[in-house]
Order: sequence, then structure tokens, then C-alpha cells
Amino acid sequence: MTPWKYESAEDLDQAMVERLRRFPREPDMLVYGLRSLAALTMRGWLRLYHRLEVHGRELLPPERSCVLVANHGSHLDTLCLLAALPMSRRHRAFPAAAADYFFQSVPRIWIAAVVVNALPFSRQVHVRQSLNLCQRLLANPGNVLIIFPEGTRSTTGEIGRFKPGIGALLAGEDIPVLPCHLAGVTRAWPKGKLLPRPAKVSLRIGPPKNYSTLTPGRDTAGMIAAELEQAVRDLAIQQGAA
Amino acid sequence: MNPKEALQSPVFLTYVWIILGLLAGAGSVLGIMSRFSKKDLHSVWMTYRSWLVMAPLLLGSIFLGRIVTIAALTLIGLLGFKEFARATGLYRDWWMTGGVYAGILAAGVTTMVPHPGPATGVSGWYGLFMALPVYVIALILLIPIVRNRTEGQLQAISLAIVGFIYIGWMFGHLAFLANPTHHYGYLLFLVFAVEVNDVAAFTFGRLFGKHPFRSRISPKKTWEGALGALGVSLLLPWVLRFSFPHFAPRELVLTGLIVGIGGQLGDLSISIIKRDIGIKDMGATIPGHGGILDRIDSLIYTAPLFMHMVDYYHGLN
Repeated sequence: MTPWKYESAEDLDQAMVERLRRFPREPDMLVYGLRSLAALTMRGWLRLYHRLEVHGRELLPPERSCVLVANHGSHLDTLCLLAALPMSRRHRAFPAAAADYFFQSVPRIWIAAVVVNALPFSRQVHVRQSLNLCQRLLANPGNVLIIFPEGTRSTTGEIGRFKPGIGALLAGEDIPVLPCHLAGVTRAWPKGKLLPRPAKVSLRIGPPKNYSTLTPGRDTAGMIAAELEQAVRDLAIQQGAA
Repeated sequence: MNPKEALQSPVFLTYVWIILGLLAGAGSVLGIMSRFSKKDLHSVWMTYRSWLVMAPLLLGSIFLGRIVTIAALTLIGLLGFKEFARATGLYRDWWMTGGVYAGILAAGVTTMVPHPGPATGVSGWYGLFMALPVYVIALILLIPIVRNRTEGQLQAISLAIVGFIYIGWMFGHLAFLANPTHHYGYLLFLVFAVEVNDVAAFTFGRLFGKHPFRSRISPKKTWEGALGALGVSLLLPWVLRFSFPHFAPRELVLTGLIVGIGGQLGDLSISIIKRDIGIKDMGATIPGHGGILDRIDSLIYTAPLFMHMVDYYHGLN
């Protein structure tokens, strides 16, 4: 008789907070349950309080892994993008969140890991490692990575410059990337305010782009970032017109 | 069992004083030791701090009453099984773990509600609680059939059954002790005596330990530690006789044997599981103690034996 093989959880010897801080996280029935509950609550809240409108939902690839890039005006952005995805992909959508902001204090770790399902992204150091983490995530089919290439929230509502990291992630990879534009979010929840105001927000998803034919490099990375930034700006103009 | 009754119960109040006294005593000894000893006592302090949290939680639930006690112990059972599932890899199978969670909840419910038929005098539904493994195993066996699967299912079924019987149901017997009239004495004595037995085994082993007890299962345990603990456990029911004044000497001796022998065996049983899997602790839930299962291992083994001994001689009403 061959002995059984046990596959223990990899985070067995870690306390709860450390388990939530690590990435990828081990699946946990309780966390999934709380996250589903939170997602349903958020969807209701966005629909009623912010009258969220989503355009272009049909452009999301149903089975493949993909990246959503969007402008960043408030904490509502992540929630709006998550609410645009089907509930069945809720636990496979990973917003990249600043490790220095979301993965330091215990309450924020709870929100980032349980409610948002965030991927801890180091903006200052270990950027390369964080990008590798994203790449590994996208290698599995069916995952959605959400990235705000500006790297921080805009205070004015203007779209900032997209950092080239997004280009480095996408160049030469056969992964669809969808530009998204969020309108009204800075007004609804300005940076530094404790609670959001009941202002209308809308999300427009653009057609997917693919950079698999490009060779990775510094120039390509910058070019991709600039192109995606332009795509998001174009969506902004469409949103204004609509 | 309610807060008012707890405040009027000499048994409950005596245990509160004993536990407070021991915690204060241990704290002062540790304080003096860390003043004058050069040894690193960090891990001992951590263990002690966790006791400062666990003891009030236990006393608090028992103080609040029968429902809270049963609910709290059921929750511990659920968390203990979760650790077992994470350690064995069963947690990847959500259907099986879900089935076992449902079974443990059912054990809690049957402990809480009385038999719906003619009055039995027991606050819990003893018959269904004892028959529960039949239904839960039937449920566990049903899962692969519903999912139309075979691969790896024997392992999943076996782990789920062990998880339910050993952690959910056997530990669940402790909660059933909240039902009889002498609940304070039974519950508090058993938990207290099992912990004292653990500490005694450790202390005697440290002081006199020479001959390894079960070298391949738990290399640090010695015959000296085990026998020393058995001695302490045989003595304890006589010292704490106020917990069950209706016990004849025969029952006091049996209680001592159950705690003294069962406590060690429970400890070793969980060690076998851990060694086979190849892990040190079942989890990291309680700082300084490891996982919940590392803390309740002895109770899992002793609680059913003690409950049935009580039932045999005095009934559970």
C-alpha cells in the first residue's frame, strides 16, 4: 500500500493576518463567503447610491485571462470595475493595490484581502517582483488583473501619465488588455474624504488590445503605456459625449 | 445555567478564584524569573499571554449560560476541524469540508435542543447526538455520488469521516456536559484537570524525564512525565471533590484514570497525525500554543469517556 499524499495548506504556520498578507492566498471558505457577501452589498450600493452605469461589458473575454487598465480617481474605481465583472469571476479578479498603503495596517489588510481580493503591488521597491507576480497570475486562464497605471489617485479628475510598468507587463504576452474609463469618481469620493457623496459614476470599457507581437524593452514599454493612456482618454471623450 | 445561577454557584465561583489565582501566581513567578534569570522567556510569556485570553473566554461563555457555552464549544470544534482540513489538504475539497461543517453544526444543535418526543429529562437530544455519525457518514458518502466522482474519493471520504468523528463529534461530547444539573462541576473540572495533566506531564518530564515513552511519535515525552501526570490526575478529583459531591470513590478513581491516561493518549493521537503529515503544529491560531487542535487534543480523547462514565453512574439530567 502506498502511503497517502497530504497537501497541507502552504500558510499553515502563519497567523491570520500574515495569511491574508501573502500572495497568492490559499483559498478559504470563510473568506470566499464574506467576499461574495461584500460583493453583493457593493453592487447594490453602487447601483443605488452612485447610479453606476457600465458600458461595454460584452467586450470582456469570457474564459481567458485579461487585464483591465483604468484611470484612478478614487477608492470607488476598484469597486466599480469589480462590480462590472460577472459574480462567477469575483474570486478570480485581482486589483493590484499599493502594498505600502493597503498591506500595512491590519484593518486595511482585511479590506484589501477579504473584500477586494487585492494583489499587493510594491510601487517603490521590488517593482520587478510585483510584475512577475502579475505575470504568474495571468499565466493561469480565467484570471482578471485590474491595474491603475497612473500608480496613484488623481486629485483633480484629470488623467495622469501612465507608468511604463504596464507596458513591461504586456509586451510580448498574448493577453488581452481592456482600457476602461471611470467618470464622476473624483467628485463622488475625493482623495482624503472619509465617506463618498451620492454622485453619479459611470464606467466605459473599451475594445481589447493585444501586444503579443512586440518585443519587450524599455521603448516598447513606454509606447504601450502611452497608447493605453490615449485609449483611456478617448473613452473619456466618448463618455463626455454620451 | 445562566449568569444569575453562575454567580450563586459555589462551584463556578471557586473555579474562577482557582483559575485567577493560578494565572496571577504563574504571572508573578514568570515576572520574577525574567528579572533574575538570563534565559530567554519570550516564548513562555507568549504562552502565558494566550492563557490570559483563553481562560476568560472559557469562563465567560460558561458564565453566560448553556446556549453560549454550547455555541462557543461548537465554534471551537469547527475551527479545530478547519485546521485538520488545512493540514491534511482536505480543505481543497469544499464539498467534503462543507459536509463535515454541517455535521459539526448538527452536533451542536442536537446538544442544544431536547428530544421532540416524550420528555426524557435531558436538555439535549441524546439519542440523535449519539446516532449522528450514521447520518453524517451517510452524507459524506453521498457527496462523491452526487458529484459523480471516483478519483481520490476514498482519501477524501476517510479524512472527512475522521475529521467529523474525531474532532467534531468526540470533542462535541464536552459541550453535551453543559446539559446535566452538575454542568459547572463537570465542565470546569474536566477542562481544568486536562490542562493540569498536560502541565504536569511537561513538568515531570522536564524534571525527571529519562526513559522515552513513544520515541517515534513524540520524542520529548517520557515515562516519568506520563506517570507523574497520571499521579497528579488521580489525586485531582479528590482535591476538587466539591465539583461532583455525588461521586463515590469508584467514580473519582475512574475520573482520575480517564484524565490521566486519556489526556496523554489524546496528545499522542494528534502527534501521530502531525508526524504522518510532516508538520510541527496544526496551525498558528493561538500564539505560543500552535493551533487550536494542539490545545484541545487531550480534551478530544477524554471528553467522551468522561461523559459516558457520568451517564453510566448518574445520568445526564
